[in-house]
Amino acid sequence: MSALPAEANPMQPSRAPSAVRLQWPWRRVLGKLATLIYFAVVFVFLLAPLVVVVGSSFSAPVNDDVVMSYVQFPPEALTLKWYREIPATQIRALGLSFGLALCVALTGCLIGVPAALGLVRARFPGKALVAAVFRVPLQIPHVVLGIAFLQLYHVLGNLTGFYLQGNLVGLWVGHVFLATPFVIGSVGAVLQRFNTRLEEAAYILGASRWRTLRRVTLPVIAPGVFSGGLYAFIVSFVDVPVSLFLASAGHTTYPVELFYAMEQDFNPSSLASASLTALFALVLLLVAQRIVGLEALLRAKAK
Amino acid sequence: MRARWGLLLIGPLVFSTVLLIATQFVFLKASFFADLGMGRVSTEFDFSNYVRIVRDSYYLHTLWLTTYIALIVAACCIAFGFPIAYVLARSASRWTTLLLSTIVLSSFITVVIQICGLIIIFRADGPVNQLLLALGMIERPFTLVGTVGGVVTGLVYSSFGFAVMLMYSVARTIPVSLEEAAAVHGASRLRIFRRVVLPLCTPGLVVGFLTIFNLSMGAFTSAALLGGGRIITLPVLIQRTMLLDVKYGMAGALSAVLLIFVIVLNLISVAALRRFRVAKLVVS
Repeated sequence: MSALPAEANPMQPSRAPSAVRLQWPWRRVLGKLATLIYFAVVFVFLLAPLVVVVGSSFSAPVNDDVVMSYVQFPPEALTLKWYREIPATQIRALGLSFGLALCVALTGCLIGVPAALGLVRARFPGKALVAAVFRVPLQIPHVVLGIAFLQLYHVLGNLTGFYLQGNLVGLWVGHVFLATPFVIGSVGAVLQRFNTRLEEAAYILGASRWRTLRRVTLPVIAPGVFSGGLYAFIVSFVDVPVSLFLASAGHTTYPVELFYAMEQDFNPSSLASASLTALFALVLLLVAQRIVGLEALLRAKAK
Repeated sequence: MRARWGLLLIGPLVFSTVLLIATQFVFLKASFFADLGMGRVSTEFDFSNYVRIVRDSYYLHTLWLTTYIALIVAACCIAFGFPIAYVLARSASRWTTLLLSTIVLSSFITVVIQICGLIIIFRADGPVNQLLLALGMIERPFTLVGTVGGVVTGLVYSSFGFAVMLMYSVARTIPVSLEEAAAVHGASRLRIFRRVVLPLCTPGLVVGFLTIFNLSMGAFTSAALLGGGRIITLPVLIQRTMLLDVKYGMAGALSAVLLIFVIVLNLISVAALRRFRVAKLVVS
């Protein structure tokens, strides 16, 4: 027997008029089940290609003296053969991509952090225009950027005799142009939430401007710098269109090598190198999550 | 003290502006010169490239095809991604973190690898076809490469993670208290979603749609690998014109057309945003 009247007791479904609806338990369960299934499908959809690539990289050819022109998934027999046969060009390209991406991330931070500081803190007419200039590279299709840079380097080469196309420096500059907006966006977002009182306190206590910057500001915005730098690294590592135009025979990045391999001469050893790259990406993600957390990463990408 | 911060901008601004103007100027200028074949360019300034684009049905068809594909991709990403983003924004379990991590991970991997995986899955003798054949749902195996459906699938796959991330941020801006208030007044979950969440998220969804549309219009890698030489979208055409045909003028003109399209769309989205007076988080 309930001490409360039926309408006021939250445990009992109310018999009040149409303003209150009944929540049938089975409808809720069905809803939850549907959501779960939907999530599972999306989860599988997102992971399937990766799993397939990694799994296929271990598949042994059914016929030993014929190189398979296609791969088996699920693999019928396992082997490490493809990992041993990764072509030297791909390994070289991997090294190049990694080194380049690292340089791009560092340069991007060097350019992006002052830019973000100036953008968030300075006050001057035309600030929206400056912000737009920094944001524009994100909105230009990469193919167009690739062509634009290639032609620019042509012109510069004709003018100065110094050819940047096919040159590592040219590739580096192009990638930095691509990647810097991510750093600026990420650091800017952190700066906007920054409590300037921390700096003011430092000044009051006698710290010089440089010291405050070094000991107060930079440590606080470090997560933003890290996620921005991480995305700069990834944008550079993963890029295809710009690198396709700016790379040369000796200096290709890994995605471009893989692209060519897929278009022309597919060998399962490409799957092996791809799996290694995927593993590296996973490690990078885990490390990044440990350092800055998932929210910061999501914010950096979605801006 | 304030003025000092502005000085920091000078270096980066010079770098960005110089590169931006120089690159755009060079290729736009090149687009106004006709190609003489084999990489040579005429010295007369004319609009022949643009005229050819507008007149030739091949170019127009490519532009239409690219737009059509981009629209479908954007619609699919938003339609399928928003429920995910919304549920993720509202729940905080371990699975949420896992799914979000998977989404971020998918953006850490080169598109080439993703497409490689997709092609293997959908091969004529791959798991999907085998399953569908076994179930009797199709008579002959279907392929992904060289079809519009294939290009759309590849593009949806590579943009999906980004779309979910965008909409996740949007969904996070809706205060839960609004939904709770609606629930207290007796609305079912579906009704809350339809009458409270969706209207509030619409500006963000519009921005997301336009962003994915932009991305898909300019997407090169997926279209190149899955088009199989048969389905040629504008970015692929630009690359071919530049590297295979070596027609600098025409490639420049095509790029200009693509760029103008993207710019016009961005302007429309900015205007649409102003109309809806959206929260700062969504304005990108």
